[in-house]
Amino acid sequence: MQVRWLIALASVMGGGCLPSSAQMISQVPADVLKAADIQKDPINVRQNAPQASGSTGMGDLQGNQTTINAALPAAVQAPQTPASAGGTPAQLPSTFDASGGKQAQTAANDVPPNPQLFGMEIPLLDPASDTMKYNGGYFDLGNNAAVRARFEKYLYQLPDDSTESKRYRKKMNELLKLTQKSARSKAEVGSQTLLQIGRGLYELNDYEGDGGQSGTLAGGIASALSVQYANNSRERKNAKMQAEIDKLVEDTNRMTNHNTGRGRSPRRGIGKQSVVDTSTSNSYKIAYNSSEVTGKKAAQVKNDADSMAATELAKVNYQSMVLSFLFERRFDHALIGANCYRHIFRDGDSQLKLDENSKSYQLFNGIAGTSPTVSALASLAANARHDVDQNIEAVTALLAQNKLADATQHLIEAVAIGEFMQSVATFPAASRRRIAEYWTLRRRVLSALNARDYGVCEETAKRMKELDADFDDSLVMGYCSGRKQQSDLALRNAVKALRAGDDEGFNRYITEAGTIWPRNPKLAEGREQLEKLDSQDGVLEEFRVLYARGDFRTIAAEQNKFEVVAVNPELKQQYKEVLTLISTIDGMLQQLERAAAQDAVMGPCMAYEMLLDQQAQDARYGEDARFRDALNRYALSAHDFVQALEQGKEQAERGELGSALANYYRAQCLYPRSTRAAAGIRELTQRILKAEY
Amino acid sequence: MLVGGALYLAFSSHPAEQRTSRHEDGGFNISEYRRDASRLTGNRYRIAARVENIDTEGNDRMVAVSIVGNKQERLPLLVRKGVSPRVNLTRGDTFYFDVECCTGRDAQQKEIKGILVVRNMETK
Repeated sequence: MQVRWLIALASVMGGGCLPSSAQMISQVPADVLKAADIQKDPINVRQNAPQASGSTGMGDLQGNQTTINAALPAAVQAPQTPASAGGTPAQLPSTFDASGGKQAQTAANDVPPNPQLFGMEIPLLDPASDTMKYNGGYFDLGNNAAVRARFEKYLYQLPDDSTESKRYRKKMNELLKLTQKSARSKAEVGSQTLLQIGRGLYELNDYEGDGGQSGTLAGGIASALSVQYANNSRERKNAKMQAEIDKLVEDTNRMTNHNTGRGRSPRRGIGKQSVVDTSTSNSYKIAYNSSEVTGKKAAQVKNDADSMAATELAKVNYQSMVLSFLFERRFDHALIGANCYRHIFRDGDSQLKLDENSKSYQLFNGIAGTSPTVSALASLAANARHDVDQNIEAVTALLAQNKLADATQHLIEAVAIGEFMQSVATFPAASRRRIAEYWTLRRRVLSALNARDYGVCEETAKRMKELDADFDDSLVMGYCSGRKQQSDLALRNAVKALRAGDDEGFNRYITEAGTIWPRNPKLAEGREQLEKLDSQDGVLEEFRVLYARGDFRTIAAEQNKFEVVAVNPELKQQYKEVLTLISTIDGMLQQLERAAAQDAVMGPCMAYEMLLDQQAQDARYGEDARFRDALNRYALSAHDFVQALEQGKEQAERGELGSALANYYRAQCLYPRSTRAAAGIRELTQRILKAEY
Repeated sequence: MLVGGALYLAFSSHPAEQRTSRHEDGGFNISEYRRDASRLTGNRYRIAARVENIDTEGNDRMVAVSIVGNKQERLPLLVRKGVSPRVNLTRGDTFYFDVECCTGRDAQQKEIKGILVVRNMETK
């Protein structure tokens, strides 16, 4: 829990800035993001207190956010929002103004402001939900812009393995050991040890990566020691004054006794008047001494007061410095500072200067689980260091198992807490690259979800699944699929509305489809069709002319152009008829061509007669240019056959039945299966047989 | 294609027969017949041909024959009732046909021309 609290501090204080603004993507249900182990981008801000879900780690950052939708595509219909602590469903705002609107909302929600420490608002962490409340807004840890930016910077940095860096860490470890040894020591640590620590810190200050923190700590120790020196000086002065006071008091007593005769035996002779009365001069002396004693006493009191004030001020300054190190995740410095505290301020008072009734005091006492003492700060720093090292070990182990999602979460936590620690700074570059790749994909999924580009989202989720078999892509994929289907359904309705001439319905549905899935490829197709519709009047007229002329072949050749005639039910029927006819003709000609090629004599005869039969059945066939071309071509190839049939017919009409019958016989010899020849022979034979000669 | 030598053409030499018209070119040309049979009206020919098909209407028969040596052409011959009753006309057999190109009238009294009517036939 201490570490969680530190994460909260790190997320805000360590980041050096707070997000000035953030947008909330209300379109994407949080449960989808959670399932993908993905947080909303750029910052998942909640204006209502999250419900406690019992999540325990950074890996469950969104665990509190929502209840998982029962099933998709239900999820696509109503994005889920986290419930407030009171059980009231909280609506995610469409936008979030971290600097302004939240204040109003905070007031509206009657959420008490955070406690303040040294004039600064303290970020409050809800460990159950891994959310942090700061300045009236709720932030997902590990998913605010500050942490993310630092994490990405870290991922693309090279490990800090320079000689200077190693020397710095070695020296820092030596100082830590020295201070920890001193902390364990029952004996008071002398000024020489503190000076040794201070000198060591000044040496560390030269290293660039130290950021001047060591110098600050050394300066803080020196300042505190200076106060102590000043106090000691005042104590010595007081002691000297006390000695003077004691002497003055003794002198005064002695003079008083002399005046009153007490304390000595009288040695007067009888009748002698030789005794001198000195009471008058002693009285002045006594009065002077009394005045001196009073003045010195006052000076002592002043010195004591000055010492107390200086000590209290020095303690506040020193504690503030140690807290700053903690906030800035300089845990080594915080630990050194905390360990040195009791050796600098030897009065045994390590209590943080907090009002016991203040919320700050309760924060430390309640969340950190310790008294608000400097020792508690040391404990926090030590635990944070330990936790960071454990996280790095976990990352290494998880990477070995290709569990990139969990490894990423642990690394985020490690970087967020201990960005300046050795184990984090020296994390291998190859491992960073692996996590960076996964992190990039994760961001791409977020971007795709934000942009509602569900195609890219699905592809990226698949890639993530390839990289990490444990990555649960079911909800992301289901969500994307559902949204795509929803968009397609709206498009289908738009098409229906268009066909029905319902412009209002068309506009409504097309807007809905585009809103749901702006990158729907069918929208582009629809746009092309709409552009065609813009010029549909001319096309419709052209279609009517071609159809009336029987030029079906031209219509079929430009069928894409004439597709728009489908808006007119009558023309649509004609359009279908044309395409069907042309398709039938083409198919038939293709088959005839193959069959005719099998026999050079009978093949053309067969093809010719079949074409004639088709033409006889449907006159539209004869209007097709390609059909006519084929008919002419086969007529030429089967010239004798065609001539015999034509002559037979013509001669029969003239009564030349003998010649006509002979011609039909001739045609039958050329193509024995000719139906026309057979019909002619049958008819003429009957006429000849029934005739009189 | 001309039937050439495969075609046996001859004026009837039967003493009982009487020629009703003369055939000047001395031969039966099937191509010419197909082109214009009415020009041959009244001419008589003796043709050796193989019976390919027989259609019957009452006692009359319409016989499709192929000239010997030319199976690519067929010639329609009308064999009326009572012609060569002793000859059994069967498909696939070859006969000598004495034919005359005649003109007749059909059931609607329309003139039909160029009909080769068999006058006599013999087994070859």
